Amino acid sequence: MTIPAIDSTALTRRFGDFTAVDNVNLRVDAGQFFGFLGPNGAGKSTTIKMLTGLLAPTSGGIRILGEDLQANSAEIKRQIGVVPEGMALFGRLTADEYLQFVGRMYGLDRATTLNRTRELLEFMQLDDEQKKLITDFSHGMQKKLALAAAVIHGPKVLFLDEPFEGVDAVAAGTLKSMLQRMIARGATIFLTSHVLEIVERLCTHIAIIHRGQLVAQGSLDKLRAGVAHGGIVEGAEKSSLEEIFLKIVGTAREGSPAVTAPEQELSWLS
Amino acid sequence: MAELTGREGGLDALAPIPASTQLLAVVWLRWRIFLNNTFRKRPKSNRQIIGLAFAILLRIVVWSMLGLIVVGPVVGSGYFAWTAITEGHPQSLTSLLLGIALLWQFVSVNGISISVAIQSFDPASLIRFPLRFGRYFVLRSLLGVLTPSTIVGCLALLAAAVGIGAADPSLALPALAAMAIYALMNIYLTRMIGAWMERWLANRRFREIFSMIMALFAASIQFMNMRRFSGHAHGARSTLLLSALHSSGSYLDWLPPSFAAQSILLANHPFAAFAQLAALLASTAVFAAVFAIRLRKQFHGEYLSEGVSRRVPVQRAPRVKIPVLEAAAQTAPTSAGTIFSPTVAVCMRKDWIILRSSGTQLIGMLTPLLFVVIFSMNRAISSSSRYFLPAAIAYTLLGVLGSLYNVFGADGRGAQLYLLAPIRMRDVVVAKNLTSLAMIAVEVCVAWTIICALAQPPIAVSVQISTALWSVFLVAINLAIGTLRSIQAPRYFVPGRARQPRAGTPTNRTSSLLVLAVLFGSMLLQIPVGMASSFFDEPWLPAFVFAPLAVAAVLGYVLMLWNVERLILAHRDVFAEELCKV
Repeated sequence: MTIPAIDSTALTRRFGDFTAVDNVNLRVDAGQFFGFLGPNGAGKSTTIKMLTGLLAPTSGGIRILGEDLQANSAEIKRQIGVVPEGMALFGRLTADEYLQFVGRMYGLDRATTLNRTRELLEFMQLDDEQKKLITDFSHGMQKKLALAAAVIHGPKVLFLDEPFEGVDAVAAGTLKSMLQRMIARGATIFLTSHVLEIVERLCTHIAIIHRGQLVAQGSLDKLRAGVAHGGIVEGAEKSSLEEIFLKIVGTAREGSPAVTAPEQELSWLS
Repeated sequence: MAELTGREGGLDALAPIPASTQLLAVVWLRWRIFLNNTFRKRPKSNRQIIGLAFAILLRIVVWSMLGLIVVGPVVGSGYFAWTAITEGHPQSLTSLLLGIALLWQFVSVNGISISVAIQSFDPASLIRFPLRFGRYFVLRSLLGVLTPSTIVGCLALLAAAVGIGAADPSLALPALAAMAIYALMNIYLTRMIGAWMERWLANRRFREIFSMIMALFAASIQFMNMRRFSGHAHGARSTLLLSALHSSGSYLDWLPPSFAAQSILLANHPFAAFAQLAALLASTAVFAAVFAIRLRKQFHGEYLSEGVSRRVPVQRAPRVKIPVLEAAAQTAPTSAGTIFSPTVAVCMRKDWIILRSSGTQLIGMLTPLLFVVIFSMNRAISSSSRYFLPAAIAYTLLGVLGSLYNVFGADGRGAQLYLLAPIRMRDVVVAKNLTSLAMIAVEVCVAWTIICALAQPPIAVSVQISTALWSVFLVAINLAIGTLRSIQAPRYFVPGRARQPRAGTPTNRTSSLLVLAVLFGSMLLQIPVGMASSFFDEPWLPAFVFAPLAVAAVLGYVLMLWNVERLILAHRDVFAEELCKV
C-alpha cells in the first residue's frame, strides 16, 4: 500500500467562537493533482496553512508523506513547496536575490542555487527584471516568482493557493505545463482555485469545503457520477465541474435554494 | 526543473542542512535588504534630489543628537563605576546596574527600535522554511538585536567594566565577564518582554487597557514628582531615590543586578564569586527559556490576530423592494438642509466610524489632558500666566497636529476610491480636515477649561484672546502644510497599531520634524511678542499681532484647498505607489 502524500484526520481549527475548519479528513495519494475548492471564506486557505505548518490546528492530525507534521516539521518542509495566500515574498529584494535566499534556506549548495535561480528566472520570463525590487513587480510577476521559489528545491508535494490569480494567459499556459510535468515525474500537487475550468482541466481528484466542512471528496469521475461526501448529487453524471460545484455548495446551504442570483435583487442595474 | 527522487510516496532521507548555511542565508538576506533600502532609490527629478538631500541632512542631525544622548549614559556609567571603587562605596554598583537595566527595558518597551525601520521583513515568516526550532530561536535572538537600547546598554556596561578596571586592575577581568553575562541577561529580558507583550497586545481590549495604564503611570509619576519636589532642590529627589534603594536592598540581593555586582566585588573569594555568576547565568537562562516558550508557540503556527474570531455568521433577511424607500434613497444625495455636501458628510461619517473603533487613539488624546491638569495645579509653572496658556495649548496640540500631515494614510488602498468616484477631492480633504479639527477643538476646549479653572493666578482675558488667535494661526498653518504633505508624501499606516508597516521611512520623519518645527517656531514667536507687550505695557498687543497672522494662515489654507484638485492630479502616481501598493 502506498503512503498517502497528504493525510489529515479530524482536522479542526477554531478562532474564538468561529470554527473555520471543522473535522476535515483529507487523503491525497502520491502523484495526484488534487483540487481543493470552496466558496469565499469556506476554509481553504486555513486548511492549506495547517497542512504546511504555518498554522497550528486546534485539534486533529496531519501526516505528510507518511510522517507526522508536528513531530517532523523541518524534514517535511524540505520536501514540500508552498505558494501561500499573500505569497509571503520579501519585497525589498530582487527576484534573483530572493531565489538565492530561498535556495540556501532549503539547503541547496551555492552552485545549484545559482543554476536553478537562473533557470527559473528564465523559465518564468523574469530574467529581464534583474534589478527591479519585488515590491515593484506586478501581481502576476509576483505570483510567478512565488511559484519559482516554491519549486526551487524540487519538492515532492506542492501546495498552491490560487496560483493562477493575476497571471497572464501565456504565463498561465507555461505554468500549467510545468505542473503537469511535475505530476508526470511523481510529484503531488494540492491546488486551490476559483477558476473551475482550470481545476477541471488539471486535477484528477477534487475536494469541496463549505463553511469549514468537507462536503465532497473523490475523483472527478466519481463526482460526475454523482457520488459526493455523505450523499448523492442527482443529475451530475454529465455536468461540468462548475455545475457540480454549484449543486453541492447549493445543497449544503441550510434551507436555501441552489446558488443562483435572485432576479428581484439589483433590478435597478441597467 | 529538478528531478524528483526518492522512494515512492515516502519522505526522503536527505543530508541535514548545516546550521551555518541557514544562518548565513538570513544574515545575507538582512544585508541585501539593508543595501536595497539604503542605496536603491535613485532621485529622478529636482524635487526628489532636494527631498533626498533634506532626508540625508535630517538623518545627520537626528543621528548626531542620538549620539549625544548615547554619550551621557555611557560616560556616566564609566565614571560612576570608577568612583564607586575608588571612593570606597562598591555596593552602589548594584544601583548602577539596576538603573542601566531599568532604562534599557523602559526604552525597549516603548518600541524605539531600528528594526522597526526595516521594511518587508517579518522574522516570524521564517517558519515556512525547513528550520529546526533551535535555529529559529538563535535567529530570533539575533534578528533586530541592534536596537538603540541594546547598543547604549552594552556600551554603558562596557564603560562600567572599564571604569572598574581602571579603579582596580585586579577586578578588570571579573568585571568584563560579569558585564558580558549581564548584557546577555538584559537582551533576553528585552526579548522575553517583547515577545509576551506582542502576544498580549494582539488582544484589542488588552491594548486599550495597557495604553491606559501607561498613560496613568506616566501621569502619576509626573504628579508625584511635581507635588513632592515643586520648588525644592535636586537633593531631595536624590534622597528619595537613595532611600527607596536602601529599603529595597534586601530584595535586590536576589536579583540579577546584585548577582553581577557581587560576582565582581567578591573576586577575592572565588567560590562566592562563582556562585553569584552562576546565579546571574541562571536568571539569564530563565529569561531565555520564557522567551523560548513564546517562540515555540509561534514556531508551531500560533495565530494572534483577532480578525477571524470576531466574525459572526450573519443571517440575511430576505430583501423586499419598498418603493417609498427607493424613491427616498434616490433623492438623498441632493437633499437640502444639511450643513455639509453629501461627499463631505459621508467621508466624515466614515472617518468617525474608524476613529470610534480606535480606543488606543482616543486614550492617546486623554494623556495630554492629564498633564495639563498636573501643570495647572502647579503654581510654580502656571504662575507665568503670559506664557503658560499658549505653552499648555501647544503641548496639547503636539499629539494631534501630526494627524493633519497624513490624512489619507489610514485609507490605504481605499484611497483609490476617491480618485475613481465622481466627487471633488476638495470635499474629501475638507471632510478629513473637519474630522481632525473636531478632535482638535474638543481637545483644546477641554484643556482650556481645565487651565481656566485651575491655574493661579487666573488667565487674563487679553491673554486668552491672543492665545485663541495664536491657536487659529498655528492650526491653520499646520492644516495648510499638512494638506500639502498629505498629498505630496502620503504614507500608509494602520490606526492604533504600535508597529507601523512604514514607521521608519524618511517621509514620516520629515513630517514629524515639520510638525515640531512649526510648533516650536510658533512658540518662539510668543517670546518677542510677549516681551514687547510687557515693554510697552500693552496687554492687547499680542492679539493685534496674532490676528493678522491668523487671517493670513487661514487664507493660506483656503488657497491650498483651491489647488487641491490640481495637486492631487499631479501626484496620482504617489498615491498609487504609497497607498495602494500595501
